[in-house]
Amino acid sequence: MENTHTDKNFEQKLKQLQDDLIKMSEIVEKQIEIAVNVIKTKDSQDAQLTQNLDEQVDVAERDVRDLSFEIMTLHRPVASDLRLVFTALKVSKELERMGDHSRNLAKRAISISSSFDDELIEQMYSLGRNVQSMVNQVLDSFFKKDELKAKTSWNQDAEIDKEYKSLLKNLIERMHNKETSVVDEGTKPILIAKSLERIGDHATNIAEEVIFNITGHYIDLKKSDFE
Amino acid sequence: MVEQVNSFAIKTKNVSVHYGNKMAIDDVTINFTKNDVTSLIGPSGCGKSTFLRCLNRMNDVIDSCKVQGEFLLNGVTDIYGDSIQVETLREKIGMVFQKPNPFPKSIFENVAYGPKIHGLASTQSELNDIVMESLNRAGLYEEVKDRMDDIATGLSGGQQQRLCIARAIAIRPEIILMDEPCSALDPIATARIEELINELKENYTIIIVTHSMSQASRISQRTAFFHLGKLIEHGDTSKIFTKPDKEQTNDYITGRFG
Repeated sequence: MENTHTDKNFEQKLKQLQDDLIKMSEIVEKQIEIAVNVIKTKDSQDAQLTQNLDEQVDVAERDVRDLSFEIMTLHRPVASDLRLVFTALKVSKELERMGDHSRNLAKRAISISSSFDDELIEQMYSLGRNVQSMVNQVLDSFFKKDELKAKTSWNQDAEIDKEYKSLLKNLIERMHNKETSVVDEGTKPILIAKSLERIGDHATNIAEEVIFNITGHYIDLKKSDFE
Repeated sequence: MVEQVNSFAIKTKNVSVHYGNKMAIDDVTINFTKNDVTSLIGPSGCGKSTFLRCLNRMNDVIDSCKVQGEFLLNGVTDIYGDSIQVETLREKIGMVFQKPNPFPKSIFENVAYGPKIHGLASTQSELNDIVMESLNRAGLYEEVKDRMDDIATGLSGGQQQRLCIARAIAIRPEIILMDEPCSALDPIATARIEELINELKENYTIIIVTHSMSQASRISQRTAFFHLGKLIEHGDTSKIFTKPDKEQTNDYITGRFG
């Protein structure tokens, strides 16, 4: 168990910072979940919900930033406390970007042509589910300070990228074969897939921040031998 | 990296100190790089002041105090050996204490006393030069130049402490030991002393005991953390305050015990 702080006020604010981040990550995870479901359901109300949640995410990001500034100014954190504050700032930024991508992909998903077959929808949905799982893992690793879990989730990104490329190839082939009526219609799924892939990238960034937060070291993950 | 013998102002090895049966320092090995400011930090009773006082044999006067281990000045001179007199040692290793302790004499006499007894000036003019230069280096000359004959105890706390620094550097030491030199001063006087420490490191090696973590981080290039008589960690200040290797160091500097 971690030792308690001699400055209770400081300790309380560090806890508050983590709680704010937990709250923010819960909203973003919900946003991603809804957006991924919209790929299948095309529910416009749900798409609107991701938009509404995005506003909450922006407020949460500002809260994290304000509290981080307050902690830095009033308590001058050092060592692990300093790393936590910087990690909180960076993670909140990554979460905010994830929220934006979720909102955008949900908006595009409701206008996808019904001419697309189930196989394509299923492929996009599967990519979405995997991204969702990666995000969940990486956030869990942050709050539980689990280095191994952060590395494992970092590694998931390669799978996400593979899936994304395969989906992209499929879509481009369809456009070549003129299976889509117009190019514009074909690009929508590409942009959705791209949003999902970008969420994966942000999750990867968080994994790197989590490892720095825990160890104080940057790890060249490409050279690490975990699987 | 190859260690240059001459790059260290003081090298110590396996230092242990006992007060009677009580162990105050437990097998500490640490080297102090020339022209660096090194902060010794740790909770009260951790041994940091005891260790500092070993470096110029201030503990010699305490009968029950037994110092063991190796202490080398400039990598060669045994601080506790026969080749150097305590008086000569203290010419080379000066000290500034927690509470400013000027002699109840004039400002001039306070600074001139050391050079006089160590025979550093052969004429009055030389002595005047040393006093002026020392006060200048301590950043005090401009404030006292018109009242050099006034009694030193009439100066403010911050001025008195700078006078003590001027007194320490008047005998041209290589190393200055400081034992919480700012703990009795207000923030402005503290800032002035810290600025001075930064200037002095150009010419001197400074080892300072401080309870203020922010002071250690502001003024020192190296930081050593002591706990229960042991040296827990010693390294670059920037590293100690961002990513210390030891959990105990992290706990102390973040305020998780003390």
